[in-house]
Amino acid sequence: MATINTLSVLFILVPILGALLLVLNLLLAVHNPDNQKIQSFECGFSAFSQTRSRFSVAFYLVGILFLLFDLEIILIFPYAVSAYNNEAYGLWMVVIFILILTLGFVFEFGKGALKISTVESDSNSASNIAQKNDYII
Amino acid sequence: MIIDIREVQDINSFYRVESLKGVYGIIWVLVPILTLVLGITIGVLVIVWLEREISAGLQQRIGPEYSGPLGVLQALADGTKLLFKENLLPSRGDTRLFSIGPSIAVIAILLSYSVIPFDYHLVLADLNIGVFLWIAVSSIAPIGLLISGYGSNNKYSFLGGLRAAAQSISYEIPLTLCVLAISLLSNSLSTVDIVEAQSKYGFWGWNLWRQPIGFIVFLISSLAECERLPFDLPEAEEELVAGYQTEYSGIKFGLFYVASYLNLLISSLFVTVLYLGGWNISIPYIFVAGLFEINKAREVFGTTIGIFITLAKTYLFLFIPITTRWTLPRLRMDQLLNLGWKFLLPISLGNLLLTTSFQLSSL
Repeated sequence: MATINTLSVLFILVPILGALLLVLNLLLAVHNPDNQKIQSFECGFSAFSQTRSRFSVAFYLVGILFLLFDLEIILIFPYAVSAYNNEAYGLWMVVIFILILTLGFVFEFGKGALKISTVESDSNSASNIAQKNDYII
Repeated sequence: MIIDIREVQDINSFYRVESLKGVYGIIWVLVPILTLVLGITIGVLVIVWLEREISAGLQQRIGPEYSGPLGVLQALADGTKLLFKENLLPSRGDTRLFSIGPSIAVIAILLSYSVIPFDYHLVLADLNIGVFLWIAVSSIAPIGLLISGYGSNNKYSFLGGLRAAAQSISYEIPLTLCVLAISLLSNSLSTVDIVEAQSKYGFWGWNLWRQPIGFIVFLISSLAECERLPFDLPEAEEELVAGYQTEYSGIKFGLFYVASYLNLLISSLFVTVLYLGGWNISIPYIFVAGLFEINKAREVFGTTIGIFITLAKTYLFLFIPITTRWTLPRLRMDQLLNLGWKFLLPISLGNLLLTTSFQLSSL
């Protein structure tokens, strides 16, 4: 009998636990839906427009930036464990690596990639008022 | 012939013993897992009770008092009630995504408890990539929130899901950089090694004193990761009804509720492990083992003390997020992103470089 890895058992057992709770709810609870209950919530109205609305592109850019920095962190992780073996050479490599990323990040900020327009910041410039209702944040 | 039969019988009996061993093996694997899950559940119930009582105290109310002594059983009663509530599926939503969303959020957070050390040998999986596993697994949770926000097909849910995902991923980077600085100090990614590295000099050996900037950044980022109040934009009830939970009812809503408190508990546990010295008693010059004449094998008594100290530190630390909830006003979305990207990220990067330079210059 091969040794059973506790972690892999946990990875199987926890999803089963999650599914079990959902099934228990299905079994125990009443199920009696009507039109009012299953409509999408709209503060007392019945929904009259398409709910898949446009959203700010900033969310997408945040996602891309996150990918970039998460990759960076994954690449620094091995360094953090082996810092004593690599000494000053390793440090300089990490500094150069972070410097390149920082330059790119500063450039992206200069372009205004993460700027989310709010009512407050828009009220200063009249040109933005037309775009205000374009997307929601 | 007789010998042959006896041999076969012997082999058969041994075979039975072997299969029994297999069964016992499975049971011995299941026991720690079930204990951990049960312990976590009780821990969450305690947090819910603490939160309600402390909130009541801060607002000069009484708080839960009817179910059990001091209302201890209130959270259990709420959970049981949610289990019996109708499970509504929105007519225009995506039913499958709607159903798996909350489960993904809970599962991702529950899995990261496997690397928490409660005592020297009391950790479910003593991996040498422990902290890394936590970061990798816990970043699955925003996917669950995003899925449930999208699957509800409701404006408020969608926006809440988007905000939750953007917030979690923005604050994960400073959080991870702080953890990196810690693992650099202790030269290991294993949670047990990180605690062991803080065991000398009592509480002066805590990483809190060696990493003050990292601690503050970690605190802010973990508050944002838990979607606690200065950062609870995904559920901002004045603008987004209830965020990604708007359409949910029954145990699925309960799963979200549990997920947020599980997240709070694990953040607090990791603060204890990374910065507050884990299971060590942390009073200088007093060694528990020596005090009670226990040998180094760490008997049951020592282990109990280890668990008790870990939990005491964790729950004492929990007072900070709970009181923060009633003292600080909520940020705006652009302020939130600016704080994450323009303030915490450069600071935590600088902290990492500073730590590296100090470590290398001290060689």
